[in-house]
Amino acid sequence: MSRTRASEHREQNKKALLDILDTLPSIIARVDHDGRVDLVNRRFEQFSGMSASDAVGVPLADLIPCFAAQLRRVAEVIDSQTPLTNARTQCGSGADLRYYSLQIYPLNSGTSKMAVVRIDNITEHVRIEEIMAQTEKMIMVGGLAAGMAHEINNPLGAIMQHAQNIERRVSPVIAANLKAADEVGVSLDLVRAYLEKRGILEFISHIRTAGVRASAIINNMLHFSRRGDARQETVDLATMLDQSLELAASDYTMKKAYDFRTIELVREYAADIPSLMMTRLDMEQVVLNILKNAVQAMSPLVTGRTPCIHLRTYLEGCFAVIEIEDNGTGMDEATRLRAFDPFFSTKEVGVGTGLGLSVAYAIVTNGHRGTIDVSSQPGAGCCFMIKLPVHGSSL
Amino acid sequence: MNGAGITLLLVDDDEMIRDCISAYLEDEGYNVRCAASGEEALDVIAAIRPAICITDLRLPGMNGEVFICQAHRICPETGFLLHTGMAYVLSDELRAIGMTAGDIFLKPIHELSSLTKRINGIASGVNRDAGD
Repeated sequence: MSRTRASEHREQNKKALLDILDTLPSIIARVDHDGRVDLVNRRFEQFSGMSASDAVGVPLADLIPCFAAQLRRVAEVIDSQTPLTNARTQCGSGADLRYYSLQIYPLNSGTSKMAVVRIDNITEHVRIEEIMAQTEKMIMVGGLAAGMAHEINNPLGAIMQHAQNIERRVSPVIAANLKAADEVGVSLDLVRAYLEKRGILEFISHIRTAGVRASAIINNMLHFSRRGDARQETVDLATMLDQSLELAASDYTMKKAYDFRTIELVREYAADIPSLMMTRLDMEQVVLNILKNAVQAMSPLVTGRTPCIHLRTYLEGCFAVIEIEDNGTGMDEATRLRAFDPFFSTKEVGVGTGLGLSVAYAIVTNGHRGTIDVSSQPGAGCCFMIKLPVHGSSL
Repeated sequence: MNGAGITLLLVDDDEMIRDCISAYLEDEGYNVRCAASGEEALDVIAAIRPAICITDLRLPGMNGEVFICQAHRICPETGFLLHTGMAYVLSDELRAIGMTAGDIFLKPIHELSSLTKRINGIASGVNRDAGD
């Protein structure tokens, strides 16, 4: 009698353990020394699309090929009796990119030597890590930028303003110039003629232009340290996007690279999005910077396709989402991970400062409590996704 | 040359900045006095009662904000412009004496005529237009 009870108890325990294995979010499989499946849990069936009974006896690496490289080490784990932990791998690409951690533990069950393979989807975890690393970088650069801006703006001001003073002090419209020229016995007209002949006035004008450029870079970097902005206003997303498209069409640096008007624009704006609180000029800059990036990646000479940009807006929970998708060259994973890094650029020197997307990142995350992310399929284009909290909700 | 007769005070601890801005303003015909700190500038304000005072925000000793408030009490008819290296949102005190966002100039000023335009606007009484 008691033996039957004990046996019942064991059966119950066994069932409970199987239930636990099926309930866990991990994909679990027991394999033999050759890596052939002996037992799998329900998550495995869902993930591989194969029933447990069909899976038995088949090499695990054939069933889930994206883990084949790590699964080759099953025998090594069993022989050395040393677990393989935290092997990270990725499957899919673009928006379907998923990260997994894979662990193999040696298992001694009676005489047969086996191993347990456990696979977890850690995509969300990896994304959070990426965001934290990015935020840390931004804070560091932001601190440097804020300190630097103050120190550099004064000498930069002196360079630019003295260049302007030089231009003015050879101008015949200022009486003091004529008087001083007269006192030293030269003709101001001749001085000007000489300066023009030797290109000196042009040099001075270049000094001023260069100063404006340097000052724009410093201004951009200051976005990294700015926390929110007092001057937010209620903005209609569709209007803001259309305004940014207009800016892009008239942007001088864009015109040089590509004629924006020949790009096919597809607008898919949802009608139910409420107006959002934002710093309109800053958000326009975000969109413009993403468009610039898209345009530079869409040269038909490289892609063989007609350049096309999709702009979408829609609501997702308490967020308004803006998607900007191009059909350009796309980014590989290494580039994608660094896309928002300050001063990271894949363009040749002089084409971009490598600040555009990092400024976009700073404006969205610091100033608007939103998120920005990019997914990409190399060769098929990029999709930037900006999520902004809808007015009244908080992150 | 449209600054004839207008007296200005320029406050900045950086000599380079005082030199380049005052050279421009003098060429424009303004009477320009300079000071290197808020403390020094308070004395000058009392003595020359300038129409406009252009001041840096980050100064040794008292900062630009404190300086403006004290200077305003000494000489209420003086208009103030801030010339600063950092983005700045006007404090309530400075708003209370009538300053607006249009009175803030970020360093480096790309085109100094924007500064004289503002100076002349304030001096001719067409001041405090919507800057924010």
